This record gives sequence, structure tokens and C-alpha cells, in this order.
Amino acid sequence: MGAMRTASRFAIFTILAFVWLVPGKDAGYAAPGISCAPATPQSTAAAESAAASPVAPGTAGFPAEGGTLTVFAAASLTEAFTDIGDDLEATHPGLDITFNFGGSQTLVTQMTGGAQADVFASANMTQMTAARDAGLIAGDADVFARNHLVIVVPAANPAKIDNAADLAGDGVKLVLALPEVPAGKYAREAICGMGDAAFVDVVASNVVSEEEDVRDVLAKVELGEADAGIVYVTDAKAGGDTVIAIDLPAGAGPVATYPIAAVQGGDVALAEGFIGYVLGPEGQATLAGYGFEPTGA
Amino acid sequence: MRRLEESDAMTVGAPGLARIRSAERAGASPRADDDAASDPVPPPDGRSWTARLAWVLPLPLLLLLALPLVALVWRGLTVGEGLTADRVAALRQALALSAVTSTVSMALIVMAGTPLAWLLARRQFRGSRLIDVLVDLPIVLPPSVAGIALLLAFGRFGLAGQWLDRAGITLGFTTAAVVMAQCFVSAPFYVRAAAGAFARVDRDLEEMAADLGANPWEVMRTITMPLVLPGLLAGLVLAWSRALGEFGATIMFAGNFPGITRTMPLAIYSAYGSGDLETAVLLSIALLVASAVVLAAVRYVGAGRR
Repeated sequence: MGAMRTASRFAIFTILAFVWLVPGKDAGYAAPGISCAPATPQSTAAAESAAASPVAPGTAGFPAEGGTLTVFAAASLTEAFTDIGDDLEATHPGLDITFNFGGSQTLVTQMTGGAQADVFASANMTQMTAARDAGLIAGDADVFARNHLVIVVPAANPAKIDNAADLAGDGVKLVLALPEVPAGKYAREAICGMGDAAFVDVVASNVVSEEEDVRDVLAKVELGEADAGIVYVTDAKAGGDTVIAIDLPAGAGPVATYPIAAVQGGDVALAEGFIGYVLGPEGQATLAGYGFEPTGA
Repeated sequence: MRRLEESDAMTVGAPGLARIRSAERAGASPRADDDAASDPVPPPDGRSWTARLAWVLPLPLLLLLALPLVALVWRGLTVGEGLTADRVAALRQALALSAVTSTVSMALIVMAGTPLAWLLARRQFRGSRLIDVLVDLPIVLPPSVAGIALLLAFGRFGLAGQWLDRAGITLGFTTAAVVMAQCFVSAPFYVRAAAGAFARVDRDLEEMAADLGANPWEVMRTITMPLVLPGLLAGLVLAWSRALGEFGATIMFAGNFPGITRTMPLAIYSAYGSGDLETAVLLSIALLVASAVVLAAVRYVGAGRR
């Protein structure tokens, strides 16, 4: 009856493992709330504009022989950059552009891990700075677009959400991006701007899932699994009829800032050609068409 | 001819190889005798050339298997000082959730899967073929397909989900959804192993016990169960490791929230996605150790069977 003995030993081991695992009251890892920083939006905005160099639009062209360009870009840029890439490939024979879209923080992790890009476009300054600190960025970062947040709800609006205050409703299933994702960081700042500490706590307790990038948030809302999510205006637009966008109260939402830069070790000439186009009138017009706020180049 | 036979054995796998080996040992392979009559015996250096190739070719594969694990442990040794209270808390939270959900999943799988395996092994009934396929499918199904399928079935607007929602039961973003995802992907491993174990039991023993006056329950308890138990346990640990590693279906169907749905694999993914590679490494090592324990248990149980 060796098997019986084995089974009982296995059970005892399992029970012992559980005793260690089952957390004590002092474990101190209650569901993550939202901690609101003392609001100093002016100073961060100032830091961002200081970090961004003045724009020299549309001067750089692509090398005549073309080549292969790899662009790592924030998930929210998916449609706009794909469109820009198609335009560029159509007008520049021999140019081949590959995109890798994802959460800006994931893109930085990938590049740190050795993935070679030529251009990095981030959804916030924090991740661009992280990339620069990791020695990944060549030259200066230019701000090429701004974006705003909205609340999205499924077209059927199961939780009957009409305004930001309804996010604190009983049992509302709210989905945000992870706090390290630019969209998640902005969303938490927005929630902090919507009401007092008690309101923020209730909304934080309504968060049911934290996603890897802003498009995963949109997907959960489009499917109707979540009652609400906080995404960029541009994502809500990309979601089409499947979602309803609800504006944040005036002044509640931070302005998302998108910097772009050439990547260390990449093809600098191609990178500058792409960045120049994005900053130039055509690129800015395409971005505006997808709901981004052009930086006025 | 002989060389061909050997390469055949490699593709057939271990059972085929064992059969051919025993035939060789007995010297009773008719094909080998025929060859010996017409062809000269292949020179011994031809054989050693094959053997040398068999040693060289797998080296890249072995490196591919070993290096990542070595790198993980190596990196883990340097994470030591980064072992902050936050990280340990995140580890324990994810590990506890993984342990609880996978245990509940295993309990459910054993309860439903053992009788099912017995039926599949012992009874021919209408639809048994269909159930066979149904049980096998999740083994070959990519987890992301499982995630989409679960969403379409049990999501809020899914086939069954909309009725559940109307009854006030929502599964999305709950720990129950994690258990469902785990059961979906891991149950087949248990049912397959258990059915195999039931099929291998010598029916004569059971009949003998019945002839000696044991009722069906006593036969089951004293003859069948002890014989199949090692097989059930082996299947269980395999299913357990599969449930522990469940990722795709969970993140798509159950969501990703600490303490509720963020099991170990999701915690690793979230830490990586947050740029916190050190936490990801720490969690990965914990899961590696857990998997090694499971593997050791499988070996141990397997050895006990012989």
C-alpha cells in the first residue's frame, strides 16, 4: 500500500504549504487602492515641456534607398501610426515599416531586454525618461501629440453609468490599466481629480481588473464584461459603436503627452525621417483625424 | 535496413523502441534474420557514427532547455537583496491564490473526473466516442482559444452567461472564473490518466473477488481503487501543474486583480509588464520550485507503482 502512504504524505505536505501561505492579518496587502499625489499638475507639465525640445518639422526626409524601420509605439497609437506607416510606405518605395504596439512600459522592458527598435513613441514622459535612463534613447525626445481621457461603457450600459460620479455606484465593475501603464497612471490621476478621498476609495474598491495596456481595458468594456473603463478619447473613437464615451468632469483629467525619439543603436537616418513626418503637417493631420490633439507643428 | 529500423524506433517513441530492443535481445526478429541472409552485417563503425550523431544533434536542444532555467536561478541569486516586504507580500498573495484555486480545481476534477474515467474505460455507451473527443480537445487547444470560448459561454453576454447574469450571478472577474479556467484546461489530463489506469486493471482480479462474495462496493474499495491509485495520483499531479500554470484563459476570462484573480502566472506577467523584472524573476523561481516539487512527486508516485 505504498500508494496510500504516498497519498497521505502528499496531503500532509499540501496542508503544511497552505499553513504557510494563508496570510496573517498583518500581511498588509489589501487590494491596491489609489493613492493621490498632492496635485501639482503645473510642475509636471512644465517638466514635460522642458524635456521636449522645440520641434523642427518635416525637414528630414528618408534616405533614397529606403530600408527597414522598426517602430515601438504605445498601444493607443495603433490605428494612427499604422495609417501613417501605410502613407509613408506608399510614397517611399523601398521603405518597410514594422510596428510593435504595446503598453509603453512593456516596450521599455522589451528594449531593455535587447529588442532593437529604431523609433520609440511613448504615451507619457515617465516611460520616455525610463528609456533614456536605461541608455536606450539617441538624441532628444519631441512631443508630437496630446490625448485626453474618457470613461467608456458598453453600448448596452448595464450599470447605467451617465457621468463620472456613477463610477462610485454600488457594484460597478471598473477596469483600469496597471498603475505603471501610462493610461493607468493617468486614469488614477483623473479619479483623484473627480472627488474627495472617500469618493476615490469607493471607486478604487470598484476596480475589478488591471490590464496590461489601454487596449486591453477597451476590450473588456467592448465585450461587456466590465461596466466601465477609463481610456483615451482616441481609444473610445477606435471602439466605434461598441462603446459609449462619457466625458470627465472639466479639469479632472490630466493631459496625456506623447514623446517620440530615435533609439540608440537603430537606423538614425530612417528614425529621423519617420519622426520628421510624424511631427510634420501630414503626420499631425493623420493624428488629428484619429482624435489626437496635434502639438501644433 | 537495420539503421532504418532504429530511426523508425526513434519516431515511434519509447514503447516502440522497447519492443524492438526486446526483440533484438531475444534474437527472434524475423526481419533481422532475413537481412542477415541477404546483406552483410553493417560494419560496427556505421553504428558508432549513428551513436555519435545521436550525441551531437541534441546538444542545441539541451542547451535551449537548460540555459533559461540556469539564467533564471542565476538572476534570482542576485535578486536576494531586492527581497523587499512588498515583493514577499505580492509573492505570498499570488502563491496563496494559486494554491487555493488549484486545490479547489483538483477537488472538483477528482469528484467529477474519476467516475467519468471509470465510465470511459469500462463502459461502451452511446456518445462515449464524443465524450472521448471532448475530453481530449482542451489538451491540444491553445489557452487563448480556451479564454475566448469561456468568454463566449460564460461571459456576461455569453451563451450561458446572459442567463446567469439575469439570475444575478456574474462570473467575470471572480475567483470562481479562475477555477473554471483551471478545470477547463487541466481536467483532461486527469481524466486521461485515470481512464488509462482503470483500463489497465486486471478484470480477473475483480471477478475473483466478486466470486468470493465481495459486493461491488467492496470490490471497488479493496481491489480496483488500490490498483488505480498510483495512476490517479500521477494524473492528478500533471493536472495540478497544468492548473498552476494556467494563464491565457484566466487573463482573458477572469481578469487580473491582486488577491482575486491574479494567480502566479498573471502576477509574473503583470510584474514584467510593469517593468518590475525583479519581482517577475522572484515569482518565476517560486513557480519553478513548485513545478520541480510536482515533477518529483510524479516520479515518486511513478516509482511506487513498480
